[in-house]
Amino acid sequence: MPMGHTATAQAGSGGLTATEHRLANGLRVVLSEDHLTPVAAVCLWYDVGSRHEVKGRTGLAHLFEHLMFQGSAQVKGNGHFELVQGAGGSLNGTTSFERTNYFETMPTHQLELALWLEADRMGSLLAALDDESMENQRDVVKNERRQRYDNVPYGTAFERLTALAYPEGHPYHHTPIGSMADLDAATLEDARAFFRTNYAPNNAVLSVVGDIDPEQTLGWIEKYFGSIPSHDGKQPPRDGSLPDTIGEQLREEVHEEVPARALMAAYRLPHDGTRECDAADLALTVLGGGESSRLHNRLVRRDRTAVAAGFGLLRLAGAPSLGWLDVKTSGGVEVPEIEAAVDEELARFAVEGPTAEEMERAQAQLEREWLDRLGTVAGRADELCRFAVLFGDPQLALTAVTRVLDVTAEEVRAVAAARLRPDNRAVLVYEPVTADGDDASADEDETDEHEGADQ
Amino acid sequence: MTDAAVTMDFHPRPTAGEARPWAFPAPERGALDNGLTVLRCDRPGQQVVAVEINLDAPLDAEPEGLDGIATIMARAFSEGTDKHSAEEFAAELERCGATLDAHADHPGVRISLEVPVSRLPKALGLLAEALRAPAFADSEVERLVRNRLDEIPHETANPSRRAAKQLSKELFPASSRMSRPRQGTEETVERIDAAGVRAFYEAHVRPATATAVIVGDLTGVDLDEVLADTLGTWTGDTAAPRPVPPVTADDTGRVVIVDRPGAVQTQLLIGRIGADRHDRVWPAQVLGTYCLGGTLTSRLDRVLREEKGYTYGVRAFGQVLRSSSPDAPGGATGAAMLAISGSVDTASTGPALDDLWQVLRTLAAEGLTDAERDVAVQNLVGVAPLKYETAASVASTLADQVEQFLPDDFQARLYARLAETGTVEATAAAVNAFPVDRLVTVLVGDAAQIKEPVTALGIGEVTVVTG
Repeated sequence: MPMGHTATAQAGSGGLTATEHRLANGLRVVLSEDHLTPVAAVCLWYDVGSRHEVKGRTGLAHLFEHLMFQGSAQVKGNGHFELVQGAGGSLNGTTSFERTNYFETMPTHQLELALWLEADRMGSLLAALDDESMENQRDVVKNERRQRYDNVPYGTAFERLTALAYPEGHPYHHTPIGSMADLDAATLEDARAFFRTNYAPNNAVLSVVGDIDPEQTLGWIEKYFGSIPSHDGKQPPRDGSLPDTIGEQLREEVHEEVPARALMAAYRLPHDGTRECDAADLALTVLGGGESSRLHNRLVRRDRTAVAAGFGLLRLAGAPSLGWLDVKTSGGVEVPEIEAAVDEELARFAVEGPTAEEMERAQAQLEREWLDRLGTVAGRADELCRFAVLFGDPQLALTAVTRVLDVTAEEVRAVAAARLRPDNRAVLVYEPVTADGDDASADEDETDEHEGADQ
Repeated sequence: MTDAAVTMDFHPRPTAGEARPWAFPAPERGALDNGLTVLRCDRPGQQVVAVEINLDAPLDAEPEGLDGIATIMARAFSEGTDKHSAEEFAAELERCGATLDAHADHPGVRISLEVPVSRLPKALGLLAEALRAPAFADSEVERLVRNRLDEIPHETANPSRRAAKQLSKELFPASSRMSRPRQGTEETVERIDAAGVRAFYEAHVRPATATAVIVGDLTGVDLDEVLADTLGTWTGDTAAPRPVPPVTADDTGRVVIVDRPGAVQTQLLIGRIGADRHDRVWPAQVLGTYCLGGTLTSRLDRVLREEKGYTYGVRAFGQVLRSSSPDAPGGATGAAMLAISGSVDTASTGPALDDLWQVLRTLAAEGLTDAERDVAVQNLVGVAPLKYETAASVASTLADQVEQFLPDDFQARLYARLAETGTVEATAAAVNAFPVDRLVTVLVGDAAQIKEPVTALGIGEVTVVTG
């Protein structure tokens, strides 16, 4: 039987606790009780994402995630969806650079069904995987790519910035959606090999959160998952480490049919899980989070040169994180004017740092975001898995907010000074063209896309 | 088939345990001395409190030629008061860890505040200040107008936003506010100024016709005292409820293509109007619409996605546009938008629409199965405790009920009504909601490639528009 230890409620965890267990086959389990609502969340993180993909097979982790919903030994066709929804549950799966997650939120009395379903596909997916579902889901994913990226203005910006910010050959150089060419090239045998390599109990963390009886829940987990064999075929991902700064300004200008000029940039930031990453989060919030941020006040309110201006943080554990600047220009404003204003604000911030009031605001915003994340059983289950998979300790999820509140203004200034610099960013500029106007640029752009696909 | 299938111990599928009772929360209804209606609901454990304010400032109250003024007013609420400049107001709100969103729609203006309970009094104070004494400074309104004008091209470029705009234009008579974009057009927005915004505010915003919904963990909060010090200080006169004009639409079957040369996908939006929540058919319509296109395993996606791979997903839905009270002089005259939306790759546009119509014809000819109906009921009823886990989701539904003149226990009773709805009723409602010859189809895509195959389907006259 599994062994475990019980955590006590820690300061700042809002009274939440979690216990950890490990099955003999290596499956790590995290349980957290909360009886306020008769629901339970099941979340399963597999330690595999697009960073584990190889050249020529980008998008495979995500395509595979779709195949996980196409049936397994005891579950026919779309049975996974049908059974969960028919039980009054909700479910989905997502794929990122660093992991693939699957989750069900169930009415309490249907929890056992969700565990049975997850175990069935972890242990026996290949019994059901066939050409028909492979071909079908390949088409579905290609339409997902068109809908979310290719057929919307600026839709490929993130993909382009990522490709600029992480060099050729780096595991994060391509995004999880993958290229059309690679999606076309993936074979059934690739999918089978991907499953055999990555979908093992010892490469996963299972969390169950909510209105549960921990002993009974552990019993079910042992019963359904306990006999799935572990294996160690997985290769570690390629090394994602990079120098702290890029050392030069990388730049791409896109001429495309978009409604307005845009300035976007990706800054290289500290890895997730470090104090410096939390400091960077606060810096980006002061500079570009919400309606009282420095960039919003400068560009949208005062200069009135932008429709919207903000910063986002993509936290990454296996490679430098990414600070994403996004400014859409107003009317006929030119990009250099925006860029000069952004640089001026960042330079000033690097010298002065945040004011006490800005720190208070940024910390209050991030605190509320954490309360939101931990306020649902599904959000809590996902965070417990995240900290278990990426940092080896699910308890860190319950104290994450205290670490953000512990960061000082000087640390925020220091990370901004070190990282939010012109020579540490990849810049993407959009210049609009009309549909029947600048054909030459449009063609050039299409070529870039194909080159992107070959990389 | 293979290796992995035989290496684990299989167990029969488990059966459900005993369901634990859950009911949609019943709010406590009251009023402040200034006439503001208050609905409150304690949700233990929900540390982020949600507040929704309904203002009786519907889009059809906007002055002629000033479409978008309700939107500008809604946005201007967070751009300064008699005590705080625009920048200070935004800063103070964020210092509370709060978010404040406001938007104008056909039934009225909605303001949504979310804030950790520890800072609720302060955030409610700011919200009250915004409602009681908005600055509507010339320069801030001018900036909001310019910002709104800048947003319009972004919306036009977005295929799903563009499709929605075209469908409204097609369905509703030109004289109806519903035929025109909710947030106005370039022509109307550029005419909006601070004086106009203030006049609209003075005519339509007052506590006596407003409602506040407050949901969250209110343990240890003296809400009466907090309300008296905040929203209680807002004053205003009284006003008769505005009459709600009836909603009519031309759903003659036809196709409009919004031309997007070179588009790799076609955005589909197929719609008409139908019953709102006051109609007895609502539960059956919810059930039937779910069976048709509520999820990945519903009829539309079973064919279009899981069999053919034409799309990432197609959904059918019913969304209330506006309702009136059954006690109003004209009776209940509201309507919902009933629609099917999704996107398909350009080459599959004709075949996908052909299949979609075939799904509708089969539904009309053969009806739903009992098994389909059962699964739908189990899902729609079963997910309620999940769906209403957060304070924000409860507050939003309570505010919708207020806005649509429904009793406070509407959602609570809906679950029992869904469970009582049979297969025959659900089939009839779905077929009536989506009759094959009374659907307006908007396609945002490459006309040169899709017009011919779509015309060949015979689902209605095809016209092409640009812009």
